[in-house]
Amino acid sequence: MSFPSGGPRLFDASISNVSLRSAAETSRHRRAARWGFVLLLPLLIVAMALAVSLFEPRVLSLRNIINILVQSSYLLLFASAQMVVILTGGFDLSLGMAVSVISVATALVTTGLAAADAPAWLVLIAGLAVGLGVGLLVGAFNGLFVSWVGINPFVVTLGSLNICYGLATTISGGRPVFNVPDAFTRPLYDGTFIPGIPIPVTLAIFVAVFLYLLLDRTVFGRALYLIGNNPRAASLAGIPSRRYLFLAYVTCSLLAAFGSLMLTARTGSGEPNLGGSLMLESIAAAVIGGVSLQGGVGGIIPAILGSIFVTLLSNAMNLLEVGGYVQQILLGCVIIAAIFLDRIRATRA
Amino acid sequence: MRLIGPIMSGKSSSHCAGPTSIVEWILRSYRPAGFLPVLLTVLLVAFALFIPNFVAVQNLLNVLRSSSYLVIIAAGQMLVLIVGGFDLSQGAVVALTSVSSALVMVALKETFANEPGLIILIGVLAGLGCGAIVGLVNGACVAFLRISPFMVTLGTMSIATGCALLLTSGIPVYGMPQSYVEGFGRGLWLDLPTAFYLAATVVAVIWVMQNYTRMGRYILAIGGNMQAAIVSGVPVKTYLILSYVICSVLASVSGLAFTAQLGSGQAVINAQLTLESIAAAVIAGVSIKGGVGRVEMVTLGAILLLTLTDAMDLLRIDPRIQAIFLGIIVVLAVALDELSKRRAALV
Amino acid sequence: MTGVETNDASRVAEAARDCGDLLLELTNISKRFPGVVALEGVEFELRRGEVHVLFGENGAGKSTLINIIAGTYPADTGTFKYRGKEIVHLTPQAARVIGISPVFQEFSLVPELTVEENLFLGRELTAGGFLNRRAMRARARAIVRELNFDLRPDYKVAQLSRAHQQMVEIAKAFLTEVRLLILDEPTASLTDVEAAKLFELIAKLKAAGVGIIYVSHRMREIKRIADRITVLRDGHKIKTVDAGEVSETELVELMTGRKVGVLFPKIEHRPGEKLLDVEHITLSDRSVDDVSFYARAGEITGIAGLVGCGKSELIRAIVGLEPIESGTIRVGGTVIAAPTPAAMTKRGVCYFPSDRVAEGLALARPVRENVSMAALDLPSFSRHRILQRRSERRIVQEIVQKLSLRPPLIERAVASFSGGNRQKVLLARGLTRDISVYLFDEPTVGVDVGAKAEIYELMQTLLSTGVAIVLVSSDLPEVLNLSHRLYVMHRSHMVAELTGANINEPAVLAHFFRERQPDGIVARELHATN
Repeated sequence: MSFPSGGPRLFDASISNVSLRSAAETSRHRRAARWGFVLLLPLLIVAMALAVSLFEPRVLSLRNIINILVQSSYLLLFASAQMVVILTGGFDLSLGMAVSVISVATALVTTGLAAADAPAWLVLIAGLAVGLGVGLLVGAFNGLFVSWVGINPFVVTLGSLNICYGLATTISGGRPVFNVPDAFTRPLYDGTFIPGIPIPVTLAIFVAVFLYLLLDRTVFGRALYLIGNNPRAASLAGIPSRRYLFLAYVTCSLLAAFGSLMLTARTGSGEPNLGGSLMLESIAAAVIGGVSLQGGVGGIIPAILGSIFVTLLSNAMNLLEVGGYVQQILLGCVIIAAIFLDRIRATRA
Repeated sequence: MRLIGPIMSGKSSSHCAGPTSIVEWILRSYRPAGFLPVLLTVLLVAFALFIPNFVAVQNLLNVLRSSSYLVIIAAGQMLVLIVGGFDLSQGAVVALTSVSSALVMVALKETFANEPGLIILIGVLAGLGCGAIVGLVNGACVAFLRISPFMVTLGTMSIATGCALLLTSGIPVYGMPQSYVEGFGRGLWLDLPTAFYLAATVVAVIWVMQNYTRMGRYILAIGGNMQAAIVSGVPVKTYLILSYVICSVLASVSGLAFTAQLGSGQAVINAQLTLESIAAAVIAGVSIKGGVGRVEMVTLGAILLLTLTDAMDLLRIDPRIQAIFLGIIVVLAVALDELSKRRAALV
Repeated sequence: MTGVETNDASRVAEAARDCGDLLLELTNISKRFPGVVALEGVEFELRRGEVHVLFGENGAGKSTLINIIAGTYPADTGTFKYRGKEIVHLTPQAARVIGISPVFQEFSLVPELTVEENLFLGRELTAGGFLNRRAMRARARAIVRELNFDLRPDYKVAQLSRAHQQMVEIAKAFLTEVRLLILDEPTASLTDVEAAKLFELIAKLKAAGVGIIYVSHRMREIKRIADRITVLRDGHKIKTVDAGEVSETELVELMTGRKVGVLFPKIEHRPGEKLLDVEHITLSDRSVDDVSFYARAGEITGIAGLVGCGKSELIRAIVGLEPIESGTIRVGGTVIAAPTPAAMTKRGVCYFPSDRVAEGLALARPVRENVSMAALDLPSFSRHRILQRRSERRIVQEIVQKLSLRPPLIERAVASFSGGNRQKVLLARGLTRDISVYLFDEPTVGVDVGAKAEIYELMQTLLSTGVAIVLVSSDLPEVLNLSHRLYVMHRSHMVAELTGANINEPAVLAHFFRERQPDGIVARELHATN
């Protein structure tokens, strides 16, 4: 029995031709607002850096700036992973724990192979394969339940969060897996690929370019925006929404997996707590950067700006010797503020 | 009298006036939770027969005690789920309550050395106050700012956890009054844990609320069809906020009881608490979409969950692996709920 | 109906004492919602014991007006006088207390609550702070008995048929003393027997001095019970007429505002082969029952009928948006077993939804993306899943010029365009790929006159390329003037197929108003069981 949706129609939504402003006026107004928001974040970043430098001049030192760039590179991967899913109007709460379990799994495999005197290239390939493979599984799990069964992404990823957490702590025995071999860490962390630029930054740039092309130039990317904006219209027009939604979650987890591999290479060990606050940070970075939680709005630039902002914030707080716990509180406040702003943006548009 | 006509578009299996048999009525009213009491009984019998030490008095008391903590929290989560929301911050509220109540009690130790009752009272009020504030923030953001409850409670969860850690630097807080810890936390009245009586009271109060007060109907209406509630003049914002406040306060209550039993204020408490409360509610037939939920079912759901956990502990299954099971159970329970709804809609 | 009768005498006396004849007097009522003007300067009055019909298209403002009267939200401007006194700050509760009882079209019922709980929602009877369930149960039983409805108060609303849900909705109105009753399409879900009971009830209420605002599209009912009729269009009140003094055609004219200037192009009729063939389609929810029709190339096949007759559901089912129980669909001779929007699009069937905002357009995205949405798998739009943006831009720009989109800027978000232009964006989608059958579902709702003419010209152009067009429309002049062959649906059945000279208003209206004879029911049943 089809129960009528909603309730009494509070107003007739199909009246659309008697508008309050002329079309031209509306778009001029809107364009101005959009420019305002676009410039806001870069200005904010610069302003914040300058403000902090008054108290702690080290913030603007070359070394620190490079440090921030490197840090942001990692966060960029996670923020853009989250962004892919937020574009469709969904969410991935399991990101942090997935990162942990991938880190642990990769570390175990690579250390195991190294102990068995496997050749360097095998260690690297195996490490990558395992890491991305686990990411694929997590993404497939999430995607399956969200797209085909149709469960709320929060609930699904809340469940997979716990599953990953359980797996991470189980297979690691609760302790970090040390001595990840150089064959793995060298290509992903030490040294430079392009002279002068640390590898993590290079990798992040590649990922950024790849994502830009994916979102802007492929049918998949286009579909993500359409599904996020009006899923019913997308289905009606013949876009295979379920398939693309599934792929969105897989993409998210693969990106997170790549980030996890980079982090593991950096720390040199598989950490069951690696993903700790990553879930919140990645959401904060995406939302602050301008990715709308309603879906259908976002891109690689917002992810980049958001990552730099959040990294700068925590970097500044570290230099100013603000306690870790206070930082967590601040992060929570920042998230709520960002969501609030996002809501205003949405109602204004 | 059977009315025949091509436009009759009700459930094709029912007559016009509704189901005709009691069995059909029961099945329709208690869709996924209809099997819950049966399942619980079966499991209890099975565990009693096949797991050694399951029926040991000490074990049963433990299960009863931990179920009590979960029941109180799950009842709170149920209220929020009924109005179509979600509360991820419950675990953090428990931590914050634990920490603040302990700190307050320790701080007042000197001042009111001869009146432990007063110390306890103020400490408890401080703890409940934390819950009330968090609930108020959650509710206000959802009702007035119309922000998604997932996001708000994600934010408050982070803030509350941060505060709890900040206040204690991660170190447990010892020094609560003996009478509180021994008498209330670890005590037994009539051979049953005190927490049990607390939970029983909470369940009774909520049961009365659901069946005999306006609030019970209003929250079902808000979650079931908000437009209908608005048009019928139900003060929607008020009851939304009230639901979130009660949810957080109940988390505080459970936190206080748990802290008393633990004997110290802890900022790091069971990380899975929130998921467990959601799991208990969902197994009990509370829908994520809102509009459905009965506290007696949630009680059974909580008991079922903890009985399973206890059995797994007795069977020496690693708690970390249990975490995996928990995640799978939640996803499957919600999937079942969703699929059964979809099938019902096609009928 | 003892409850009402015993109060008759006192009610009439009271009426005489009060302000005289006028129960409700609204002047200069306006209401705006974000981006939409729902009502502008509307005047409305209701007399005691009168049945006053509100008449108008979807989107004319009827819902807004009755919501204002019922206190759901206040008007932005104007005065609201009830029983001689000016009313401000009206809430749904207060409205019911003073005797204004609305019965909404989209139910204001909570599915998981029982009939009794829904009846009392927001006005529960309490004793000492707790619910007085016994009193509520007794009162619920009393009301149901008085109204002579076949309802069990302890059943959940979700378990009831739609007809019974409507009855609950009506019963809700009678919980408090009713002086002004608002009925919004009350018979939409009722069978004839139940509708007759409702009309009896209305007659009794009239006699007792209750004023009734009745919203309906059904001419037969309006003719039967209305005293006066007020026509709304685009948020304005057009005219108030006495029911006895106006003809059906005049009413339809007032409702649609057929202006002298709107020309329906003379579209050449060159019927070719059958491109779409639908046989014995029945939907799972019976909104369409055993319907067959076909559409040919070079021909506009119209489907007319009153709101709720099932014509929209019919073409939605063809593209897989409604669950089909039985029947066959043939496109170009091939049977399609399980239609989905994607599959049907690839087969060359294009569906334009009636609700373009909810189902058609991604408002925040640019025109270009909205137009190309359905063609992303074609080689001119993407190769190996990579978008061919230059090609896409070129094609969309061409199409948009052809349709005279104003302004023809394809990078602008669709949200910034007016209704008529938004519809053009939607229609542009149908020109991006090879389509042989176009299904138009209420294509000109909310579209201004100029854009309407351009849309009709588009249909003419399309038809000359040899496609088949199916036009579903509640706009009688539109469907009469454009169709080469016209089907008429009535309460989920196909009741007529008209061609040539038979496509005229009286003929079509006659089929709209078909009286259902008792034998008719039996005959159809026999037919169904054969």
